[in-house]
Amino acid sequence: MAELALGERSFMLSDPMEGHTAKAFDGALTELRLHAVGMGGLVIDQVSTAVRALLDADANLAQTVLARESQVNDLERTVDREAFELIALHQPVAGDLRMATAVSRMTVELERAGDESKKIARFAGRMAGGEPQGPVRAVARYLQHMAELTTGMLRDAVRALDESNADLAERVRARDSELDAEFAAALRQLMTLAMQDQRYLGVTIDTVFALKGLERIGDHAKNIAEQVVFIASGRDMRHKKSQAGA
Amino acid sequence: METAVANEDAARNAHNPASPTGSQTPRVSIAVDDTRKVRTLHVKAAVDNLSFYYGQHRALKNLTIPIAERQVTALIGPSGCGKSTFLRCFNRMHDLQPDTRYEGSITLHPDDLNLVGPGVDPIEVRMRIGMVFQKPNPFPKSVFENVAYGLRLRGMRNRATLAEEVEKALRGSALWDEVKDRLQDSALALSGGQMQRLCIARALATTPEILLFDEPTSALDPIATAKIEELISTLRDQVTVLIVTHNMQQAARVSDYTAFMYLGELIEFDEAAKIFTNPAKKATEDYITGRYG
Repeated sequence: MAELALGERSFMLSDPMEGHTAKAFDGALTELRLHAVGMGGLVIDQVSTAVRALLDADANLAQTVLARESQVNDLERTVDREAFELIALHQPVAGDLRMATAVSRMTVELERAGDESKKIARFAGRMAGGEPQGPVRAVARYLQHMAELTTGMLRDAVRALDESNADLAERVRARDSELDAEFAAALRQLMTLAMQDQRYLGVTIDTVFALKGLERIGDHAKNIAEQVVFIASGRDMRHKKSQAGA
Repeated sequence: METAVANEDAARNAHNPASPTGSQTPRVSIAVDDTRKVRTLHVKAAVDNLSFYYGQHRALKNLTIPIAERQVTALIGPSGCGKSTFLRCFNRMHDLQPDTRYEGSITLHPDDLNLVGPGVDPIEVRMRIGMVFQKPNPFPKSVFENVAYGLRLRGMRNRATLAEEVEKALRGSALWDEVKDRLQDSALALSGGQMQRLCIARALATTPEILLFDEPTSALDPIATAKIEELISTLRDQVTVLIVTHNMQQAARVSDYTAFMYLGELIEFDEAAKIFTNPAKKATEDYITGRYG
């Protein structure tokens, strides 16, 4: 029936945000997505820099993260305002509406991931200031691996947004269980250490918070990936277990 | 056609002479995914394989849509897609034009009357199906007489009863408070929005089973439009509404179900909330997001 006739007339869009009769709408949607992707890039760098600062007890790197925190907050306000104005001025529906609402939710996730990086950077600053490094050294391998996992998840979630790629986003969701397993293993290691030597209890607790922060960043990456699935397909994946996950 | 109507058999059964009538009219279930609730509604009119021809030109092509009772169904689509042609089939407006013909059926429940059947009197159809047009078209008579006109045609003569029914219709169209002190004034002295609500009152007075709206607010300002839209929302308590609109936001605001048509065919039919948040067809998405052209 009409499918053939429509196929002849309908657009094959190389960019899912483009093709509106009103070009200003294209521009607003593209800008919204680019700013969200840009915010994602900054947050990914915040995470990896914060963990590097912690592992190297590097005060300068820690300060870099703390100084850029305000940029993350500014981007959250900017992207959220753009999404809000897009809804008010262009009255988007269907995929465009899903993009506007989902990007608005993503900025919250990214800002929280940025907050976790800030906390890790503050801890790194204290380490650089002379706090005992034993607990961090004990789980350095886990910290390194969890940082790689979280930044990898964030990177793919943001890439999935950039490409409106639901399959890639689904794979990000599935990786969260690996991160959870790493966190549990690191906790066991720290508990063993704490039982053997209670002098470093304060730093041990801070180290647990750093590990937990990375685990939370993974959750934020998963939540962003769920929003990408929503944008691309309309499916609401929140509070649903990943089929490929645990 | 991509449609969420799970139980199309229900609509088709409407054409079976042995199908139940009265309170057992066919029902339609709206199909759901795992996040949507099932709604089962009575079918007021079952459109089945309807085609319509202007001479040799086939303007409507095998449309099958269940029109749910006491719900608002909106028809959207670009100019020339056949939505107004489809609407006008319901009250046989096309019969006024030569060389037109219908194929298929529109079965009105509960008595299974085929509205486009060859032996069916268009006057009888119009007694049951009211229509409100794009441009308000009150008669050059008083406000009262505009509403009473259809009632008088039906033989109502008692002045007290007429007055009662006129008031009821004017209240039903949210116009009573504005015209109760000027019922004998000319209807042509009303504002555009008031005239349109008067036309709705005129249609309501004869208690139609289906009320057709053909772009009812395109000639009105935003305030008058909002009043008409609010009125349409309240009308669903008493009548089945079918509305053609070019305004996508209006379809989203007022309709329970939305049908997207293109080149005389039905492309997608679903709950309005589904159509405007996650349509199944790319063609629908392209049109409602403004990518058509």
